[in-house]
Amino acid sequence: MKGAIRFLGKEFTEIVRTWRIWVVPGLLLFFAITSPILAIMTPALIESLAQGPSGIQIIVPDPTYLDAYAQWVGNLQEIVMFALIFTAGGMIAGERSQGTAILVLTKPVSRASFVVAKFVSNLVLLAAFTVTGALACWGVTYLVFHEAPVSRLAASTAAWLAYAVLILAFMTLYSARFKSLAAGGAGLGTFFMISVLTLWGPAVKYSPAGLLKASGDLLTGTQVDLAWPLLTTALGVVLLLGAAILVFRRQEI
Amino acid sequence: MRTQQTTAPAIEISQLTKSYGAARALDGVDISVPEGSVFGFLGPNGAGKTTTLRIMTGLADPSSGSVRIFGRDVRDPETRRSIGFLPDVPGFYPWMNAREFLRFAGGLFGLTGRVLDDRVDVLLRLAGLEDVKTRVGGYSRGMKQRLGVAQALINAPRLLLLDEPTSALDPIGRKEVLEMISSLRGRTTVFFSTHILADVERVCDTVAILDKGRVLTQASIDDLKARYGAHRLMLEVDKDPSGFAEELRMKPWVSAVDIQADGTMALTLSDLSQAQTEIPTLLVQRGLALKRFEGGEVGLEEVFVDLVKGGAR
Repeated sequence: MKGAIRFLGKEFTEIVRTWRIWVVPGLLLFFAITSPILAIMTPALIESLAQGPSGIQIIVPDPTYLDAYAQWVGNLQEIVMFALIFTAGGMIAGERSQGTAILVLTKPVSRASFVVAKFVSNLVLLAAFTVTGALACWGVTYLVFHEAPVSRLAASTAAWLAYAVLILAFMTLYSARFKSLAAGGAGLGTFFMISVLTLWGPAVKYSPAGLLKASGDLLTGTQVDLAWPLLTTALGVVLLLGAAILVFRRQEI
Repeated sequence: MRTQQTTAPAIEISQLTKSYGAARALDGVDISVPEGSVFGFLGPNGAGKTTTLRIMTGLADPSSGSVRIFGRDVRDPETRRSIGFLPDVPGFYPWMNAREFLRFAGGLFGLTGRVLDDRVDVLLRLAGLEDVKTRVGGYSRGMKQRLGVAQALINAPRLLLLDEPTSALDPIGRKEVLEMISSLRGRTTVFFSTHILADVERVCDTVAILDKGRVLTQASIDDLKARYGAHRLMLEVDKDPSGFAEELRMKPWVSAVDIQADGTMALTLSDLSQAQTEIPTLLVQRGLALKRFEGGEVGLEEVFVDLVKGGAR
């Protein structure tokens, strides 16, 4: 157990001391700050671009805090998610290819601890910086729009975070099984598959696809029941982690 | 951190096989390594040495057969507490320095506080890295190898498994590592794979020779030399030896005759006593005077080459 805790400690130190701190956390903070600014500048930008010899005039409604929130969530759903998928693809595969897994796994660290430590460290990183990003987004939105209700932003971000945890669990399995790039490809395929499922009612009601759709709907004040999506997501995370441990245990390093 | 002593051999490998599809990397390997010995695991490249070590450390599963370390299954986490392992190409976290890596490795064994501090200091000195503050990512292969040896010793293991530990080292680094291995004799069982015969001859008391996934022989170095050295004879005469060498090659008790640069004939014999009886007579018949007649000093290299070329005897 002490060995597993020490390995988890190494994971956190590694995040802080390598490029990993700059990718997902960096993107989260960047979009948290720029989303409200971009939202308030967008109408002016569009109007200035439209003014020309044609004489066509485009009238864009005044932006609100909801536009800032929508920018933030939109960035979470796409760019941050892609970054998460490709960085998490190497979480186990990278240790295997660099030979570092050999020195760890020939010491009293079980393969299950190894997999769980990888998942937990990435989860903590993701959750901590998503919350920090949401707070930063709220603060900048308030400064720019002088109005920034917390509840919609919090609910929408939380729904996305729960969905991102599921994607992280998928990536843990893929990284235990495949090389980094192949794991990233499998993760991208999974992401697109769930995105397509958001178009199908029953999937939205009962599966994790409901969380992805809800992260957008909650911003507009739409009432959504997330009990089933949250339940199936939690179940999915447990099953995927169990599968990752089984796969990694059977693997020759 | 020492676990309870047992009377079981340090390593007991029984009928170990490992197949990759149709290819058989290990084919019924049997090895027994007594506790406290320095054991050399010799073989040409591709013989199956690294595969054996990977199975011994639980990194790979055997197709059949078993490996027991101090009487325990290799998959038992307690077994790993007794083992220190250096892979052939050790991989480190490039963002750590040597001290950080050793502290990390010790932490995986549950070491903390003063014990860990002291061990890290001693091992950094042993590895010659005590003054190196740069990150491991910038180390030479030799520095990484020395750090690899140091991390393998962090838990004061009962069994030290080393895969080609000297292959990346310069002569001084090699000498230091071999001296370190030698100094562990009697306290720690050392099992190291190598294809460098001089290293084995220098520090090992017992060897197993592996070729094409099979153990050709396992014996003490002295036994091996005695077994194969008795069949060699060095012979020097006062005149051109070529005619005499040709005559010797025709004898049924002579396997081979090599004439060396100084004119000495190195005879490989299938029957030494027959040779000792007949050679003086042959010399007299040819009118040759004998300058040298002695049992050849056989090296491990010759034994190794003979065995690998000829299969097990």
